[in-house]
Amino acid sequence: MAIEDKVFSGDTLRSGYRFQRHWDNSMAYAFIFAELGAGIYFISLLMNSLTGMIVGLVLVSTGKPYFHLAHMGVPSRSWRAMLRPDRSWISRGLLGLGAMIGTGFLYVIGLAFGEQFGIAADSGLLGLLKVASATFALVVMCYQGFAMSHSTAIGIWNSAIIPMASLLYSLSLGVAGALVLLPAAQTGGLADTQLLLLLGLAVMHVMLLHGGWHGSPGARTSVELLLQTSYSKWFWGMVIATGIIVPALITWAAPGNALLAIISGLAMLSGFCTWRILIFKIGVYEPILSMNPFHSAH
Amino acid sequence: MATAKSKGQPTANSLKSGRWVASSCKMCLHSCGNLIHVTDDGIINKIEGNPTNPSNNGKLCPKGNAAIMRHYDPARFKQPMRRTNPEKGTGVDPMWEPISWDEALDITAKEIKKSMDEDPRKILPSIEDFQKFNIWAWPLSFGNFNFYQSGGTMCGGAYHPINGFIHSAFGCANDAKYCNYWINNGTGDGFSSHLHAAAQANWVAKARTERNMRVVSIEPRLSIGSAKAEEWIPIRPATDRHFAMGMSHVMIKEGLCDYKFLKRDTNSPYLVGEDGLFIRDENRQCYIWDAQNDCAKLWNDKSIGKIALEGNYEIDGKACRPAFQVYKDILEECTPEAMSEITTVPAETISRIAREFAEAAQVGATMKLEDGRTVPFRPAGYNYYRGAQGHKHGAQTNHAFKLVNMLMGNIDAPGGHMGVVLDTKEVDINHCVPGESGMLTPNPHQLGPTPPFAYPPNTYHLMDYFPLGVNPPHFNLLVHDDPAHFGVEFTPDVIVNCHSNPVWAMQGPRTKWFDFLRSMRFIVCVDLIPTEMTDWADIILPSSDVLETWNCTMIEPPHTEGQSFRQPAVPPLHDTKSEEDIFYEISERMGILEAYNNVVNLTLGFEGHPELMLELDKKYTDKEIAERKGKLWNGEDIDWYMERGHSVTEKRLDKWYRPWEGSRLHFYIEDMLVERDKLKQNMEDANVPFRDEWEWDDYQALPSTTLDPVHEEPPEYNLYAITFKDIQINFGESLSNPWLKDIVYRDPVHTGLLLNPKTAAAEGLEQGSIVFVESPYGHVYGRINVSEGMHPETLGISNALSRMKSKDSGVLPAGGHFNDMLPYDLRNTDAATGQPETVCKVKITKLDDWPEFLKDGHTVYDLIAKNEQAKGKGGQH
Amino acid sequence: MARMGMVFDLKACIGCNACVIACKQENSLPDGVFFTKTLSEEYGVFPMANRVFIPTICNHCEDAPCEKVCPTGATYTRDDGIVMVDDDKCIGCSSCSVACPYDQRTQMDADNFLKGLFGKGDITPFEEDGYGRYTPGTVTKCDFCSQRVDVGLDPACVVTCPTNARIFGDLDDEQSAPSKMIRERHGRPPLPEKNTKPKVFYVN
Repeated sequence: MAIEDKVFSGDTLRSGYRFQRHWDNSMAYAFIFAELGAGIYFISLLMNSLTGMIVGLVLVSTGKPYFHLAHMGVPSRSWRAMLRPDRSWISRGLLGLGAMIGTGFLYVIGLAFGEQFGIAADSGLLGLLKVASATFALVVMCYQGFAMSHSTAIGIWNSAIIPMASLLYSLSLGVAGALVLLPAAQTGGLADTQLLLLLGLAVMHVMLLHGGWHGSPGARTSVELLLQTSYSKWFWGMVIATGIIVPALITWAAPGNALLAIISGLAMLSGFCTWRILIFKIGVYEPILSMNPFHSAH
Repeated sequence: MATAKSKGQPTANSLKSGRWVASSCKMCLHSCGNLIHVTDDGIINKIEGNPTNPSNNGKLCPKGNAAIMRHYDPARFKQPMRRTNPEKGTGVDPMWEPISWDEALDITAKEIKKSMDEDPRKILPSIEDFQKFNIWAWPLSFGNFNFYQSGGTMCGGAYHPINGFIHSAFGCANDAKYCNYWINNGTGDGFSSHLHAAAQANWVAKARTERNMRVVSIEPRLSIGSAKAEEWIPIRPATDRHFAMGMSHVMIKEGLCDYKFLKRDTNSPYLVGEDGLFIRDENRQCYIWDAQNDCAKLWNDKSIGKIALEGNYEIDGKACRPAFQVYKDILEECTPEAMSEITTVPAETISRIAREFAEAAQVGATMKLEDGRTVPFRPAGYNYYRGAQGHKHGAQTNHAFKLVNMLMGNIDAPGGHMGVVLDTKEVDINHCVPGESGMLTPNPHQLGPTPPFAYPPNTYHLMDYFPLGVNPPHFNLLVHDDPAHFGVEFTPDVIVNCHSNPVWAMQGPRTKWFDFLRSMRFIVCVDLIPTEMTDWADIILPSSDVLETWNCTMIEPPHTEGQSFRQPAVPPLHDTKSEEDIFYEISERMGILEAYNNVVNLTLGFEGHPELMLELDKKYTDKEIAERKGKLWNGEDIDWYMERGHSVTEKRLDKWYRPWEGSRLHFYIEDMLVERDKLKQNMEDANVPFRDEWEWDDYQALPSTTLDPVHEEPPEYNLYAITFKDIQINFGESLSNPWLKDIVYRDPVHTGLLLNPKTAAAEGLEQGSIVFVESPYGHVYGRINVSEGMHPETLGISNALSRMKSKDSGVLPAGGHFNDMLPYDLRNTDAATGQPETVCKVKITKLDDWPEFLKDGHTVYDLIAKNEQAKGKGGQH
Repeated sequence: MARMGMVFDLKACIGCNACVIACKQENSLPDGVFFTKTLSEEYGVFPMANRVFIPTICNHCEDAPCEKVCPTGATYTRDDGIVMVDDDKCIGCSSCSVACPYDQRTQMDADNFLKGLFGKGDITPFEEDGYGRYTPGTVTKCDFCSQRVDVGLDPACVVTCPTNARIFGDLDDEQSAPSKMIRERHGRPPLPEKNTKPKVFYVN
């Protein structure tokens, strides 16, 4: 069974696999800004890097909503998206996002200017804001993955690996951000963490491919698309080599080199962006009924 | 947004406040009953089938569903127009200038009259409105028999005359009400095309799902019908006759026939002499061999003990055989093995289908009808149409199919193979008339009178030489190539075109047809929307559409009879007129009003009904004509029809089942030989110079196994090419309609030239290869879609890939026209019926890229690429 | 309460797509938008090749994933089981579109309404009459012609189907035509492994 045995029907009246085309690149960019920004904020929070926190918050509060609104059919009604947190990950995420931005900025303001108003950095209020914003950042880091994995429609998305991927990418990009933003002296141990996270990402990709290959016909088709079509050079070249192997080598060989940390971070970011776009592009719906043996479950 | 949503009001179109108008469809030439919803604002926003019409039972095909988009087509002709660009051509902007109706009609009448006064034969009518025979017959008003429309040969040139011979009917179909074994050979009846597509699909689907009727489909392409059939039998194109004769061989060899039927209800026992004519007495009565008394007796001799179907006999020293024996002798060589060689259908399949068919026919079974008659019950029928019959030897081919049915005794029997009349005009008219020697009067001319023999010819398409046939319009081009050769002494210079698109529909290269059209002094087109043909017009006379006009029509409904009524749902959107108004105005201006009214009285059957007869000096509206047609049918007035939309009922049993009871059917069509000899003699007497080129062998009283010449093209043309439509583009214009376009070019059978993948590989082609396809007569460009549903020797070209760009039309060109690749000569035309060959042999060359003229980004293939790549949100994948 | 559903008779369906155009008529759908589609698939190898026609439509799932993921509550299920979209609430986020395993949701592109069916900006009176029901940018789908159902009519695609391949009715009523057909001809839902509990079934 190979990809060439399958029918991709486009928007025709031919039965076959249909590409997911509803979530486009602007949705991918929104996801990127959210996971990148929340990751940087979260790690910066742990590392007490005010600059990092601000960078993270700015990324989350600008790019994320901008690209979401660009995607939205009726942007003026977007506020309605928070109405159903009881069942929708989009609603939960939106609330989490709002809360993260709110508590995050309050915390940053508190840290920066709190002493002028008699609020100590270790005060209970700021501590509460810190914990709250970290928790909400975690929500933002993960919810997009849950929004994708929640329904069974697109096989490759319908996997616990997808939110895990969100979290791992978010954390690793956060660490990469910290490695760039913080002086080497303050990043003790982060390089090792980064190596672990990169290893985690590699394992995550193996699990996703493995799970997809043995998953639903649609999930397997997505894996085939990733590995057997023109997407494969992007996957191996950008997602794996540039996004994981190169930064791992840099982090292992030259921890603490500021220039290399920037290169490593950019490499990870480009791998991440490629993956975010690819995972949207390889999403397929399965034929509802098919007599083609290559279309049915294996 | 044009209109805001008003709360509480329905948004579903059929539920909006408005009224329903009961009317009839005309998206193909048939006439399913429909209901038209008009909103309070006067907008037509929904058309549904009329459930009270027992023909289509409330159902509509995709085309019937799409009528609104023709009505509101912004490209519709909105007022009369005159050309200002002297340069003519399909796709060349005529630079229309609006003019008044008076001016347009004056010019039109003046130009036509000019030719009429010089020589009426110079007028070429191309009038294709099959729902209005009063318009169709207009040229008879000045004795003109020219014919420049595709109706006839591109549908059933041989089909209609043979139906006329056998059933005295125009069309034919199987009886879906009782049929259990339905063979479809080269036809989409019951699935995708031909007779009242939605109606027939409804009847056939009920038979398939409620009664498990078995369907066997024989054709080179896996069409909708084949896909739904229990069995698809792929066959080499233009060999269907041989399949039928192979079946007949088995049925006779194995004694499976309905001998009682053959003896009593056909002329198959009549004794045939060595000259092929029946042996007759001095009163022209035929003989039958009495096997019991071993002597010949007159057909109606009550003392005949045992009718002989077989054997060789002598009467007065003259050798003779029963007609049945003649066919048996012909079939001797038609073994399944021999026919398998020709058809590529395995011999065992031919034998098996023959046996299955015979078993299903239940020879011997009878049925008691509600009218008290007990008739043969034969729930098996062999149905066929254009794909199978549209060949050089069309008459023989049609006849071979009919004979498979006759051998089973299923002609016009419940469950069997039925004649379908065009229009009996009156409820109580039977179309069958007893004829000479106990035989049914044959009625091969279902569309009215044909011109008598004449040399020099009086028609430009040589109809003077087709005493049995339908018009061969492709001969207009043959004669145009060399008029002197055919002794034609006039040059047509005016075309009167009405709802006809001959420049699209006819075989022969477009370049030559364009040349033909350029030779015209004046062309008038009565039409709704721009077509390939209207680009050539000097004057456009815009007609109102089916939702704006009146009519009453009956067009070969398979299981029902009665008038489909049309009434305006809305007043005309634009400054348009009905066809009646237009042709009455022209007739009056030409001074032929009286003659025209005479023609209408005759054509529509008003003759003999004083209360309905048109007064000769009056002009009549479409409403007045429709009212009379309704009254003629059942005496009901127009209010009755306006309320109901039709007078359609299930066919009366005496008109449906064996309406010829008491007459013998023409198993042996002696008239073929009689008419051949008459024509031959006429040609000899008139010293017609091309008489030796005439294909005299085409006239056969029984089918022969002669191959169609398409099989004898030079060997480098190694594949057959066929064209096809499906239900979305059944019959005429469809692709200017955005709804139809939206489904047609998403359907894989219409998005490329279909070729079996193994053949493609052997030719060095693959999915998506751009190709140049060439026949000995013409060529097309295209892109390959591989399909396992193709006979390996056959290239399939959808009719949706044979369009040309015309001014303002949404129709997209593809890469040429299939019909360009068809011959238009004597060699490939059935001399008996005028049926031309409709398949061709081709060779395929792979190209690296499209030729320049197909690279402007506005071809069918560009639209298809957009659909296949699903651009839109998410971008291209 | 009723539970409205549909059965597709794959033996009857001839893939003519009359249903598709009836739907376009009834719902004033813009070019390229389909609430129902009849697909075709060729299978097998010559001469044993065949083609199957597969009608598709919103399955009005009982566990409708589109409803679960909708962040605004625009998607909801009526008492009779018809899954609806309230386009006053829809924001066009397309979450439902990627959650529907049957790809039955379409975002209404504003350009489509401007270009018109004839593609050149000529908006026909038919379109003027009908487009007002849509809000550009929102996501729409088949609603089983709910307004017709409310007055006792079958959906537009059902009434026009020449071969009676679409059978509509109350699945809670054991005597209804679709219930009988599902029972007698072993109706099966599309992609049951997606756990959506469709109210549309296919019979052979």
